[in-house]
This record gives sequence, C-alpha cells and structure tokens, in this order.
Amino acid sequence: MPGLAIDARALTKSFGERPAVEGLTFQVQEGEVFGLLGPNGAGKTTTVRMLTGLLRPTSGEATVLGLDVRTGAEQLRRAVGLLTEQPGLYDRLTAEENLRFFIKLNELDEPAAWARAVRYLERFGLGGREKEPAGSYSKGMRQKLAIVRAIVHEPKVIFLDEPTSGLDPEAARTVRDAVAELASEGRTIILCSHNLPEVERLCARVGVVKGKLLAVSTVRALRRQGASVAVRVDGEAARFADVVKALPFGPGALADGEVLTVTMEKDQDVPEVIAALVKAGARVHSALPAERPLEEVYLDLVKGGEA
Amino acid sequence: MRLRRVQAVVWKELTDLKKNRGLLLSLLVLPAMLVVVPIGTVFAYASNPEDPNLRTMALYYDPKLPMNVSAATFLIEKALVDWFGMFLVMPIFVPILISSQAVAGEKERRTIEPLLASPITAVELVAGKSLASLVPAVAISWVAFAAFCAGVDVVSWHFLKVTLMPNGMWLFGVGVIAPLFAFFGNGIAVVISARVAEARLAQQIAGVCVLPVVGLVALQIAGVLRAGGAYYAIQGAVVLVLDVLLLVAAVRLFDRERLISRWT
Repeated sequence: MPGLAIDARALTKSFGERPAVEGLTFQVQEGEVFGLLGPNGAGKTTTVRMLTGLLRPTSGEATVLGLDVRTGAEQLRRAVGLLTEQPGLYDRLTAEENLRFFIKLNELDEPAAWARAVRYLERFGLGGREKEPAGSYSKGMRQKLAIVRAIVHEPKVIFLDEPTSGLDPEAARTVRDAVAELASEGRTIILCSHNLPEVERLCARVGVVKGKLLAVSTVRALRRQGASVAVRVDGEAARFADVVKALPFGPGALADGEVLTVTMEKDQDVPEVIAALVKAGARVHSALPAERPLEEVYLDLVKGGEA
Repeated sequence: MRLRRVQAVVWKELTDLKKNRGLLLSLLVLPAMLVVVPIGTVFAYASNPEDPNLRTMALYYDPKLPMNVSAATFLIEKALVDWFGMFLVMPIFVPILISSQAVAGEKERRTIEPLLASPITAVELVAGKSLASLVPAVAISWVAFAAFCAGVDVVSWHFLKVTLMPNGMWLFGVGVIAPLFAFFGNGIAVVISARVAEARLAQQIAGVCVLPVVGLVALQIAGVLRAGGAYYAIQGAVVLVLDVLLLVAAVRLFDRERLISRWT
C-alpha cells in the first residue's frame, strides 16, 4: 500500500505583510500524479518552492517523503526533482555539460548517472544531440533537457512547474508525453498548470489554488461537483428550459437538441426537476448524471475564490 | 562544506568562461594595457636618458635629487614603484568581471532557481563562484607580471645594463597583496551581484570600487603620496580586513529565500 509522498498541513507563506498562500492542507500519495491548478499569481509556484525546500513556510507544516521542509531542506533537495517554469539552462554549455554539472552537484556516481542521463536523452528524442550547446536547442528540446536534469538523480517526487508553458502545440505534446512516461514509472508527480486539458489528461487528482486551497478532489469528482443531470425528452428540450429555471432552488438549464442539462447544488433536487418537467408535459426518456467540463468547474471555483 | 560540490561549481564556471569570448576579450584588454603602458614609459626614459626635460620632471618629485644621479634612472625606478599601485587594478577588476557574470548572470539568465534547488549550500556556492573568479584573476596577474618584468628588462637593458625586474617589492606585491586585492574585487562583486538583477549593472557598481585605487595612484603621480614597500603593505593589511568583512556579508546575502523571492 503506497504511503504519503506529501503531507501539507495549514501551509502558509507571506512575503512581508502580503500572503502568497494561506492554510494549504493536502496530501499526495506515493506514485500519484497530482495537479495544482490555479490562475497566474495564485501561489502554485510558491507552494512548490516551499515543498522543495527553496522557501521557508511562514507557518504550518509539510513533509515530503517524510522530510520536514523546514529542518530537512538540504536532504529534501537531494530527494526531489524540480522543473522550474523557465528551463534555466546554461546556454553556452552543451547539453552534456549542463547535465554533468547537476550530476556533480548531486554527488552522484558520474559514469552511472551519465549512462542514465543518456538513456533519458534517447527516450525524450535528444539522443545524439548532447554535444550541442543548450542555447542552440528549440524551446521544446530545452524543456525536455530540463526535465532530464530534474530527474537525473532519480528523485521519487518530481515537481513540474508549468512544463508546457510557452511551447508550441507540437513541443507541448512531446513534453506531455515525456511527463506521461515518467508517471507510468510510478513516480509521484506534482504538476502545476493552468492548462486544464493537460491536467485532465495527466492527473488523477487536482488541487485548485487561489491563495487558498479551493478544492482537492479527483478530476471526475470535480467535474461532478454540484449535481448535474442530462434529461432526454421528446422533441426540442429548449421548450422546457424556462420551466426548470423557474424552480425555487434556481437550477441552471442548457438545452442541446433533445437533451436538457440541468445543474443544481444538491442531488436531492433531481426528483423535483423531473417532476416539474413531467408536469409541464415533457415525456422524459432518461435522466443520467452529467459531468461538467473541468474548465467550467475550475472557473466557478476561481470566481468563488474571488468573492 | 562538501568539496565535490565546490569543485562542481568551479568546473562549471571555468567551462562557461572558456566559451565566453566576449568576457575573455575584456579580461585580456586591461592586463595588456597595464603591461604595455609602463613598458612604453620605461622605454621612453631609457631610450633618451640625456633629455633635459627628464631632470625637470625628476626635480619635481625630488627637489634634492643630486646632480650625479641620472634623472632617467630615478624616473624609471619611480615609475616602477608607482605603477604597482595601478597594477593592483588588475586583480580587483578581473574578478569583478567574472563574478558579476557568475552571480548576477545566473539571475539574469534565470538559471539560479534550478541551481538553488540542488543540494548545494550557500557557503559552497560562494566558495565555488569565488574560486572560479580568483584563480583566473591571480593567474592573469602573474602572467601579466611575468610579461611586464620581461618587457621592462628588455627595454631598459641597453641603458642600465642590469635587470630591474622582478624586485622584492613587486614579488611581495604580486605574490601576496595582489591576491588580497583579487579577493576584495571578488567580494565586492559577489555582494553587489547578490543585490542586483543584471551582470552589467553589478559590474558598473562594483567597478566604482576600483576608483579609490586609481585615485591613490593619481596622488602618487602628483607627488602627494610617496609609495614604497611599507605603503603597499599597509594597503594590503587594510584590504585583508575588508576581505574578511566581505566574505561574511557574501555568505549572509546568499540566502536562498532572499535570492529566490527577489529575483525569480
């Protein structure tokens, strides 16, 4: 049974008087791919920096692989891998020199670590290019090289901060494939992003952050957040949209052909919706739980967080 | 402190330096000037020792100069003593150029976060960056000194028939005082680079610290200050104290939190 890779409790960071993140409490299991979603400036990077020992929390506690982020920062940095938002490569150095530098900094057995790095370079399509200066690489290649640098010391937990930000669709896809490969190896991955399809594809669970943690859940449960039901009726469903909207608990209704998607706060209100439709003359064929697009759920949460 | 991590930083910095042609060129211009100018001055004195203007100049510096002492010999010896002050600009300036690139350059190119996310400690980072700047600075100073000695002896030989260089003051100065000044230049550059975001700005601000040294040389040339072995030894002692203070400041300023939260 997998243990906890990350355990954050009431984690808070302020810069002077300005709070960046407040009271974050969440856990990530070993081997899980966890997404940290949030708009720019929401505190995702600050959270990652606290969990990688780069910033000291103002209050609260967190352990990563059992290491306290306050007292075990040096050990922690040895145990985790971090892909920063900018690849941060030394442009004049070759890819090999960039990697060898970090192999040396991590005090690894150099021949073994380099052999491993070569395998990763080949897997990520960079094989045979290691003697070229990093500055001559394309954006996607740079990002993949930065990923190899982040994992060359075989960390059990990998933090990826906006790994596809600023990449063209093709480069973004190759980076996503690389991340999926890492996930398939059973590593714990924390993926910070505001790219929702990417998070949906790669992550089992997500946390939505905007200064505070607005939600932590599986993607599926998030999409089902609030009750949502797809009601199939005879004829144009649009005829019954106003009937539903007029109900006292204020559900939303969106018609598409014969299907009326009704959203409401509680599952318990579904029978009332069906009853109202039948009373209005609708012939109901089916009523099935509907999932909302993650984008919609995310925007609702973030908007709610502003209030 | 883990030596392997310090070595790693030195290795990376020197590998990067070898590939930075612009910086290498800037590193060679100042030493070349500091070698060529005094050799030219000595050559000018030695090639026309009977020039009556030389006695006028010599009497300005020493009104009691005996008539049986050659004005050219006096001026050559004075130039060699005074030039050491100017020569010290080199061991200060070279580390400023290298360290500014090495520290502020990391921030400018956004390479600092992955570096700070590695297990390296602040002390190891400062030690590695400093060594990577001090070793070339001292090496360049010594090579320039060797070229300077050879040049001065060659151009003065036909007049003096003795070798003037190296002498005791210069050997002590280049062997002991120059490394202390190099440490000073590096310390200033590291401290300033930890506070600013751009290598060029760090170089400009740190470059200001060369001005007092140039000012002292100007006072020597104007005849206000009389330089000599003791004078340079006192300069060295003052700089040694400053070196220790700068080292403490540099380690304190290399705080991960400060660097990360301010510059990334």
